[in-house]
Amino acid sequence: MASFDVMPDIQLYQPVELDDALSLAERYGDGGWVLGGGQDTYGWLKDRAKNPQAMIDLSGIDSLRGIRTTDDGIEIGATTTLREIIRDERINRDFSLLAQAAGRVASPQIRNVGTLGGNLSQDTRCWYYRRGLACYRAGGNLCYADGPESMNREHAVLGASRCVAVSPSDTATAMVALEAMMVVASASGVRSIAAEDFFVGPATHITQMTALEPGEILTAVRIPSKWAGQRFYFEKVADRDVWDFALVSIAVAMRLEGDSIAESRFVCGGVACTPHRLKNVESAARGNSLSEASADAIAPLASAGAIPLNYNHFKLPLMENLVRRAMRG
Amino acid sequence: MEFATYRNDVWGREVIRGVSWDLLWLVVVAALVAIALHAVYEAMRKRGERPSSSGERVKRHDSIDRAYHWIMAISMFALLVTGVLPIIGIEFAWLELHWIAGIALTVVVVFHIIRSVFFKSGSEMWISGKDLKEPIDNVKPGKYSVAQKGLHLVVTVLTLLVIASGIVMFLQIDTPWWQRTNALSEAMLGVVFFVHGITTLALIGVISLHIYFALRPEKLFYTRSMIKGWISRDELAANHDPQRWTPDESS
Amino acid sequence: MNDYKLVGKDFTPPDVMGKVTGKAKYAEDFRVDGMVFARMYTSPMAHGKVTHIDASAAEAMDGVIGILTADDVPAVEAPNGAILTNSPAFIGDPILAVAAVDEKTAEDALAAIKITIEPLPFVTDPLDSLIAGGPDAREEGNVYARSREGSGFRTVKWTKEQIDDFRAGKEPTGEFAAEWKYGDLDKGFADAKVIIEENFVTTGYAHMSMEPRTAMAYWQNGTCYVHGSAQSHTFWMPGLARLLGIETKDLVLISENTGGGFGSKIGAYPIAALPGYFSKKIGRPVQLRVTGEQEYYMGSARVGFQGWIRMGFAENGKATATDVFIIEDIGANATGGDASSAGGAISLVYDPDAMRFRGLPVLTNTTPRGAQRGPGQNQIAAVMAPIMDKAARELGLDPLAVRKINAANNATTVYEEQRGVTSAYLEEALTMGAEMFDWENRRQQPKKNGSKVRGLGIGQGYHSAGATGFDGLIRITPDGKLHIHTGVGNLGTYSFASTSRAAAEVLKCDWENCEIHNGHSEKNLPWNSYQAGSVSTFAHTRTNYVAAMDALRKMKLIAADTMGGEPDDYDIDGQRVFLTENAAQGMSYGAIAARAIQLGGEYSGQTYPDDINEITQRSVQNLAGSGLVGVAKDNLPQEGTIPGLACAFVEIELDLETGKYEILDYVGIAECGTVLFPAGLAQQMKGGAVWGMGMAALERHVYDPQYGLPANVGYHQCGIPTYLDVPSVTRTGAVDIADPQNPFGARGIGEPAMGCSVAALTSAISDALDGHIFGRTPVSPDMIVNHVTGRDQSFLPLQTNNF
Repeated sequence: MASFDVMPDIQLYQPVELDDALSLAERYGDGGWVLGGGQDTYGWLKDRAKNPQAMIDLSGIDSLRGIRTTDDGIEIGATTTLREIIRDERINRDFSLLAQAAGRVASPQIRNVGTLGGNLSQDTRCWYYRRGLACYRAGGNLCYADGPESMNREHAVLGASRCVAVSPSDTATAMVALEAMMVVASASGVRSIAAEDFFVGPATHITQMTALEPGEILTAVRIPSKWAGQRFYFEKVADRDVWDFALVSIAVAMRLEGDSIAESRFVCGGVACTPHRLKNVESAARGNSLSEASADAIAPLASAGAIPLNYNHFKLPLMENLVRRAMRG
Repeated sequence: MEFATYRNDVWGREVIRGVSWDLLWLVVVAALVAIALHAVYEAMRKRGERPSSSGERVKRHDSIDRAYHWIMAISMFALLVTGVLPIIGIEFAWLELHWIAGIALTVVVVFHIIRSVFFKSGSEMWISGKDLKEPIDNVKPGKYSVAQKGLHLVVTVLTLLVIASGIVMFLQIDTPWWQRTNALSEAMLGVVFFVHGITTLALIGVISLHIYFALRPEKLFYTRSMIKGWISRDELAANHDPQRWTPDESS
Repeated sequence: MNDYKLVGKDFTPPDVMGKVTGKAKYAEDFRVDGMVFARMYTSPMAHGKVTHIDASAAEAMDGVIGILTADDVPAVEAPNGAILTNSPAFIGDPILAVAAVDEKTAEDALAAIKITIEPLPFVTDPLDSLIAGGPDAREEGNVYARSREGSGFRTVKWTKEQIDDFRAGKEPTGEFAAEWKYGDLDKGFADAKVIIEENFVTTGYAHMSMEPRTAMAYWQNGTCYVHGSAQSHTFWMPGLARLLGIETKDLVLISENTGGGFGSKIGAYPIAALPGYFSKKIGRPVQLRVTGEQEYYMGSARVGFQGWIRMGFAENGKATATDVFIIEDIGANATGGDASSAGGAISLVYDPDAMRFRGLPVLTNTTPRGAQRGPGQNQIAAVMAPIMDKAARELGLDPLAVRKINAANNATTVYEEQRGVTSAYLEEALTMGAEMFDWENRRQQPKKNGSKVRGLGIGQGYHSAGATGFDGLIRITPDGKLHIHTGVGNLGTYSFASTSRAAAEVLKCDWENCEIHNGHSEKNLPWNSYQAGSVSTFAHTRTNYVAAMDALRKMKLIAADTMGGEPDDYDIDGQRVFLTENAAQGMSYGAIAARAIQLGGEYSGQTYPDDINEITQRSVQNLAGSGLVGVAKDNLPQEGTIPGLACAFVEIELDLETGKYEILDYVGIAECGTVLFPAGLAQQMKGGAVWGMGMAALERHVYDPQYGLPANVGYHQCGIPTYLDVPSVTRTGAVDIADPQNPFGARGIGEPAMGCSVAALTSAISDALDGHIFGRTPVSPDMIVNHVTGRDQSFLPLQTNNF
């Protein structure tokens, strides 16, 4: 078994115009690697676990960076750093859920260079897959993480289909809660995808985490004003408080009318291959007030349908507890 | 072009991953070419009048056999659609549909085998030496022509292989009834995937031809018979040797 | 208080500047003319036999210089680790190396090598091997017992019932390989008011050295130059020479800085010899760079424990009896001994009236195991703390009181032989810590606040902390400078510098006038101890003391010879030797040194004591004539165990809904005799605290049992603590009572600094959960959530190498 850690020869493109990046992405297709902050790039390449022909570095494209006001909310360029998001006044005022989620990503050093687009598009942390094994997700024909003795404490309890990996993105849960739209460009045009549809599960896309196809680039995220200034709750439970991925996280947006919840979005991270919406919790929460009693009544719904693996049944009570905390007020 | 693709197993040993799906295009092209050639050949061939479908009818297929055929056809089609479309880039949640269709096909095939062996004369589809002489001696067949029997045999073998490999693959995923074990060696798993893939490809080819023949004007009455059960006396006389097949008159 | 000039005072160790500026050079930073880059191919399989190697494609590549296989290096008898092997016994066992003109070519060559390995049965959990019918990690057997009477393989199997009973918490009844006892155990338990019985598992986890064990070597005129990553310096040399098949005199070792060893680089490890063999084979300097991933495969891990303990306590909390049984996970290479050390630690820290230890070291196909900070002592510290709390709870006593009544003191006796200690003041440490922590007051505070509960914990740590019999070597040159030659390795603890100050203290030299020579054996270093086992402070304040005393004797002789009178008429200060009665009449150190050169003989190292080690002898020979040489072997009297002791107090706030806890406050108290280097001690106590916090809650060693795959091949998966997982302030203190058997009263502290921390944490977690004992490290949030919600844990009782 070889152990690789030297950067292999690879073409590096540093376009300054989006169109150039898109034509490069189209030209290279599967063989192109879109580079944002690079925080989940060099490990893959140095390990030779992924072997693209070319890196398309987006960091020189000004139009992909920054936080802009739109007719209906805000638009965040894909290469905006997480640090910029955390420190943005408007986001902190209107969409503090996102600021909180971004503030729990990795470590300050990584947040200084890591981008929103990269965080949303990052690959799963399943250790078998990261080892470079040819599992389903890597185009193979089995899942090493779900055998009778597999070590799968961090894996999925919901939405698994052959592959049991989970989405590691902290900002993804917030984006689904905020009903964000993902702006995806390719040489043939631009399409918008609802955050909920942007993250894809193994049942449909076993080798992908997002709906991005080869040749496509996530250029921006639009957050509608619908949830601006509403009540939010974010919490991430990880083994460590820095540089770790959620065992379970929750992002909640709620609109209150008087004391009662008129509408809400509850989204769990770390439990499925995509941010997982707790629709039964959302409908049960409607009309309830934030209180210990409603928290106790609604929390048990959180883990409905969950199927634990060998080592992760703790995620069920943890999901329930996080819902409980969000409902307490 | 490779027949198989390969990958490394958990310990870095090269094992078969499965069939090379590039072959799919080869099969599709080969089937289309064969069909085109046959169509041209048939078009150039001079034919007499087609037998009339009116008049007295004789029974060719029991209703239960027709039901078997069409359930098999539907489940096979469902299996091909759910199995192949994701491979060619049309992505949807295919796996459950695929194994549900697989169970349907397996059940029907098992019933068909039991019925054919124990309740019908299994020899109906048996290819004898006499059958092989049909094209040479230019004699008419019994109930099934040697081509039909041959197709049936090929489909039987392929279907049994695809089902057998499919069952092994089914055991490798989580279902409502069991949890996967990853107990099969990765090399064997690859062989099973290969068998499933290559038989699927062969079935695509064979079924394409089957559908083509079923839709050919001079054979359409067989398709009708698979729907309605009967053929006409005329059709019988034109295509079959009454010495070798005496159909039930009461259709 | 003493009136030392340097001892007990802070200073800036000379290696600090290089480390903060990045100028410090580590093994992989060195380049020599013609050097080629080697990389390793390691076993992808947990256990197997190499049946075929096809390196033809690699050898045919441009830029590939050569291949080294197990056939090119000496064979090693199992279970010892080999330089390269054809019988790999864990994933990552080195099989082959390839050298090329650059690293990328070497990697390309590795990718082109095809090795066929016939798989053999493997096992990752000792209990899975021990159970009847279970696989053996080695073909020779599943147990390797080392003892003075003889070491060897055995095959030991327990029945399924025995394993099940053990898992269920009952006393193990299966075969064991080692036993020792003292006192009357039955009487001890009969005298007990309370008997606590628990089983436990402590996960072994990687040493995680930031610098992998890279090495570079080349040959010149029959001498092998090795740039290595060494925790110890001169102590490495005989072992490395043996691995290279040469004499120690033909070896030059360069290791100026080491990016962590933590016990995994104490002595020369096999892979350090690989570049020497490779260089000899291809005739070019070879640097073998070990990748971070490979460091996790073969960089060793702590020994894991699966054990059972029964402990009796009298009404007043005094421990009357302890019966402990420990199965050690000793990996594939059978490095262990932690279990018996754990027993020893119990005998000292809790001092039961009677005790029995039984142990069984079981081989697994996992990372080679090695000593890791407090090997044995720290695992058992984590186990013992909640047991002490439980005893206190059942007896209605303050947990602090139960610790104090059992605390090691000057009368404490240790191990089977029940030998004494040089000195011990653990009670004083507990008193000091309790005051700093405000233990009494905190105990009165309300415990629960919403979903959060506070937990208070006390931990105690111990490791024997001293060694004797090594050499000291110093030199004063005509420019008046004091040169302190030290063979102490620079493992990042500053001990090479802080112990060197002992010589300057004796000779009353200004520290600015001193130069330390270390890190390169051509700098003429003395034979010094291993930098492990917390021994350096005790051992090398002594060696530098005896060398300085030898120099002092010689200086006075020279002064008397030059200026008249008797040597005893002279005194020293201000880097002068002068008449006690008339300070104006004297000679500078520089003048004395010049005179020593003129006089020759023992004064300038032309002759030297017979009893110094050959390494020291050669160094003295090289230095002879360059100044006044002070050289001596440490023959100072020493008797009894030299304990390094520490205690810690911690407060946590544990959230019952998330299983997470925050460490609100931490106080660590060292009991290591006289404080030698306050800032260094504080760093040891803080670094140890962080490590203990990692062991208690985070650090993991995870193997997939079906495939034998390690999950922990990087910092992320291993779960070392980060700065937000530890308190922003950790407070430390020291008892600072001199030990009578060290000239400065100093003992070591490195290992107990961690043991007290992990113990305080397991104690605090138990306290927060109303006395629940997990009997396991690490305690992770999922375990806490499962416990609080009444769910079973995911793993089998006693299962190891899991999350």
